[in-house]
Amino acid sequence: MRLELTVNRDPYRREVAPDASLLTVLRDDLGLTGTKWGCMTGDCGACTVLVDGEPVVSCLQLAQQVQGGEVTTVEGLGRDGELGDIQAAFVRNGAAQCGFCTPGMIVAAEALLRHNAAAGEAEIREGLAGNLCRCTGYNKIVDAVLEVGRARSAAT
Amino acid sequence: MPELYVPAQLEDALGFMGEHAGLALPVAGGTDVLIDLRIGRATPKWLVDLSPLEALAGLAFDGETLRIGALTRIRTIELDAEVARRAPAVVEAARVLGSVQIRTMATVGGNICHATPSAEMPPALLVHDAVATVAGPDGERSLSLSELFSGPGKTTLENSELLTAVTLRAPKERSGSCYLRQTVRWSMDLAGVGVAAAVETDGAVVTGARVALCAVAPVPLLVAEAADAVVGTELTTETAVEAAARAAAACSPITDARGTAEYRRQVVAVLVARALRIAWLRATGEWPAGVPAPINGVLSGEGA
Amino acid sequence: MSGLLVGAILRSPHPHARIRSIDISAAEQLPGVHAVVHAGNVEQRPFGYNHDNLPLKGDKVRFIGDELAAVAAIDEETARQALELIRVDYELLPAVFDPFEALDESSPPIHDELPDLEGNVAMRWDFDHGDVAAAEAEAAVIVEGTYSSPQAAPAAIETHVVIAAFDPDGHLTVWSPVHMVFMYRKELADCLGLDWQQITIIQPPVGGSFGGKIDIDPHDFITVMLARKARRPVRLVLSREDEFIGTRTRQPIHFKLRTGADAEGKLLFRDAEIVSDNGAYNGWGSHAMLVAMNTITSMYRVPASRVRCAVTYTNKNYGGSVRGFGNPQATFAVEQQMEELADALGMDPMDVRLRNANQPADVTPQGMEITSCGLTECLQIVREQSGWDERRGKLRERHRGLGAAAYIHVGGGARIYGSDGCGAMVKVDDSGQITLISGSSELGQGSETALAMIVAEEMHVPLEAVHVINSNTDVKPWDVGVHASRTTFVAGNAARMAAADARDQLLETAAELLEAPVDRLRIVDGTVGVVDDPERRMDYARLVRRRLLREQGSVVMATAFYDPPTEMQKEYRGNISAAYGFGAHVAEVEVDPDTGMVRLLNLWTAHDVGRAINPMLCEGQIEGGAAMGIGLALSEELVIFDGRIAAPNLHDYGLPTALDVPRIVVNLVETIDPRGPFGAKGIGEGGIIPPAAAIANAIADATGIRPREYPMRPWKVKGWIDTQERSIVVRNDA
Repeated sequence: MRLELTVNRDPYRREVAPDASLLTVLRDDLGLTGTKWGCMTGDCGACTVLVDGEPVVSCLQLAQQVQGGEVTTVEGLGRDGELGDIQAAFVRNGAAQCGFCTPGMIVAAEALLRHNAAAGEAEIREGLAGNLCRCTGYNKIVDAVLEVGRARSAAT
Repeated sequence: MPELYVPAQLEDALGFMGEHAGLALPVAGGTDVLIDLRIGRATPKWLVDLSPLEALAGLAFDGETLRIGALTRIRTIELDAEVARRAPAVVEAARVLGSVQIRTMATVGGNICHATPSAEMPPALLVHDAVATVAGPDGERSLSLSELFSGPGKTTLENSELLTAVTLRAPKERSGSCYLRQTVRWSMDLAGVGVAAAVETDGAVVTGARVALCAVAPVPLLVAEAADAVVGTELTTETAVEAAARAAAACSPITDARGTAEYRRQVVAVLVARALRIAWLRATGEWPAGVPAPINGVLSGEGA
Repeated sequence: MSGLLVGAILRSPHPHARIRSIDISAAEQLPGVHAVVHAGNVEQRPFGYNHDNLPLKGDKVRFIGDELAAVAAIDEETARQALELIRVDYELLPAVFDPFEALDESSPPIHDELPDLEGNVAMRWDFDHGDVAAAEAEAAVIVEGTYSSPQAAPAAIETHVVIAAFDPDGHLTVWSPVHMVFMYRKELADCLGLDWQQITIIQPPVGGSFGGKIDIDPHDFITVMLARKARRPVRLVLSREDEFIGTRTRQPIHFKLRTGADAEGKLLFRDAEIVSDNGAYNGWGSHAMLVAMNTITSMYRVPASRVRCAVTYTNKNYGGSVRGFGNPQATFAVEQQMEELADALGMDPMDVRLRNANQPADVTPQGMEITSCGLTECLQIVREQSGWDERRGKLRERHRGLGAAAYIHVGGGARIYGSDGCGAMVKVDDSGQITLISGSSELGQGSETALAMIVAEEMHVPLEAVHVINSNTDVKPWDVGVHASRTTFVAGNAARMAAADARDQLLETAAELLEAPVDRLRIVDGTVGVVDDPERRMDYARLVRRRLLREQGSVVMATAFYDPPTEMQKEYRGNISAAYGFGAHVAEVEVDPDTGMVRLLNLWTAHDVGRAINPMLCEGQIEGGAAMGIGLALSEELVIFDGRIAAPNLHDYGLPTALDVPRIVVNLVETIDPRGPFGAKGIGEGGIIPPAAAIANAIADATGIRPREYPMRPWKVKGWIDTQERSIVVRNDA
């Protein structure tokens, strides 16, 4: 089936299976492998992307339902080869170890901070609970998101 | 591989579902359906994409009722201040369902119609006297939400019918509700036991009450005899415990990876009493407005 | 990759069955299928520690998930259909799920092909030190109890992915996340009858392992078999379900432990009977007992000890080498009994720990030579930070409690092979760029950064100047592999030695060109200069070019091999590691006594890391390890009913979320180990070891009950409260 959507501000048109997930389309049809798959059951959050600004697990998102929509993946958060603010904060704080949960975690953090840049530690932990990290124990992820939230709040 | 049908309006969807009776599976948020397809639990010939039916999404309030369109996202309910004021149990159930991502995708109609015994929304809706509106080839019909469930994964909907909305009665002046659950992890788990309670008072005694359970029977249970135990009382610890004991007796839990049957029954007894208590405090204005109940009713999780 | 096929595996649906026949003909004929393999049409030899396993089972299947056949097809859908077309005729056999039943001579034999097994006992680990009977007679207090753990999973967020491709000339390249790379290559060759000189292993970035990807698994061999048969490259991706069902787990271990002490709280003996439920095959998972034994005999000073351990075969997924490797399980027993003993004596558990703490220069009963040891300091730090003295035993009214646990673990390698070494090469090229080629692997633990820092420090250059190459067996020198918290210590020492050699080569050239003796040269930021003569200096790039671009020139290239000064244990005695790591945790919990739900409120940790080469990475290892330990303590379990994993998914498994893990307080204690690179010791596993024991002790403090197994899921805690499960004090003359 025909699918038209915008990913990271670029328009795409593809023929995809009617029951294809958005994750499959992003990785296999568009070659955007920054978005990871860890479970295909919505339990790990590694495949988190934004659809029209809202976070979804792309493994359970029927691609056809995003027809005409706007998708942001981790590749869309940096600009001109520079890291985005959350990405840079993850590097600074040691918030990534193996890095496999990181793309989904960063996209989820972006959604969380857009919703509430002043989120405190408890709100951040609640907001990121759908993104499992097996390496870090979450301390440094929370630190990175707190840091960006403070910077964004100060800038506005 | 199923084909996808994308209707323009509700009538198209109903017509298509009637034509392909038993072969067409509606997809709303997809969070259950895509898993069912992948593991072969569902093998439809057609998927019917409900997402274009925008009229079925959204909240509508009037003085009397709160109408929740079947395609309303769980996240919308979670963040809505008016739902929180009218039906705190519904917001508390929404808050603990899956992750932010899942709640952003999943719809209330999907959560109901997938009929998972541990689904969070049904008990919370049941204690608010939810009425289901169902559209079919011959028009709309209404039924009490509890009549919609017939077994694990099964509803009383006909093949050619769709749930379009659930409607909650306006809360009485002095009323309150609450949803609590038991889980292993503090987030992302399905409920081992889920309990909702609602209480109305005239200022002195309980004038009306509802108790509903999930994950402890093949279908979500509204336990009238539990609620009856507190009506006409001041909702003391004793009456709450009596109600809880009746709820525990009414359920029929199983043993699985999420707990033993015996344990679940014990927890029903605990959580029903707590949920009634919190609902009572809300009804009497003693619970701070806008503050959600702790997940299991007691542990705040605040460090020293 | 052009022509890449999709691999898929047919797994046994039965826990124990004889295979009467297998028919692949329909699958072979399905269009789009390029290879179907099973035991009847491939060359394979037994592999694994006990050589009791085959990649594709021909005679019997021994657990639900055992590999029977596999296909390579053009896409996933075709591969799935092909698997459905394979017909297997099974004769069901009685199965053994209970490891205690497996001890029995009359239990159904799981490996009837192996001679001389008593019952289903695969291995025994027995050890005696000192006079336990005399110590027991002398003891004022003895506590006794059982302590059990479940089957758990490493559960990295990335599942296993393997790609195998043969060149037309027969050279095999395998892309694999394995981290015992050189052994993997040899086992591939030995099992499949390949020439191991014609195998290259490439390790792409790995999405976490925690021991799950340490060793070779049947699916590794199978991917190569498929590529060989199909004459096309094959990729095998394990689904999350297959990851839980078909890759290595943390083995359940059951301890019956007794500990005795004198009236002053001085430990006199430990006596342990241990049964390891290691599953269908005896891989390296059996050696979790080695680590468990270390903790029984050597955690604190214990004058006499007795260990009797049986590793059993059962019809379940088999055990591997998961982070902590037997130590979280053993520490759960040992450290609960430390608090049980102290309570029986009316003493503070921290005082009892401090009285018995291991100290520098101790040699433990198994001959472990402790070099640096910060255990005492670690205990003191968490005692202070948690408010232990004011708060333990005083929070029960609020259903809160504090509990502690400490650990000992190898921190300077672990010699379980002929060599525990690692090779390193350092080259400096004509641009001045420094490249470390290390035998060790990066799994996300940050070893590339730590090794680069060691080289940068040794060569007096900024960190950015050092590149690390570590992912290709054609390029990198030999290494045992990444395990046993050894990389910073062993690979770090090797990198440091190679860097020092490369630096000396540069100094030699500089001495010649700058016409000054080496002892008059100083290096600042990659530039060699003559002391007191700022005009005479030359940077690394120029030195390399001057050395290279001349007649009889040479490159700057150094190699080193570091094998720690340790010995293979004989009769379980010998100094297995060049250094030992220590640490202590205090947990604070709140318990809902009516539902048994437990909330972890705080976790204070202190770890003796030798020296923190990179404090942020050290903290990351400890925090991540502790979070895994919290998962073990409270939620993680593969619940098994009749040999079947009830719910092989991440939510029912119980991987901790950001809400299940509190802010973990980390203290790095630096003891500057004499043998570690710049004094560093291993820290990869320390964090996971104490939490289950500390949390159990905290639950005991909050409720008065004594936890007997983890995970302490709500229904278990509620059950212990209902039955008033208590510590068992078999003697109290204090």
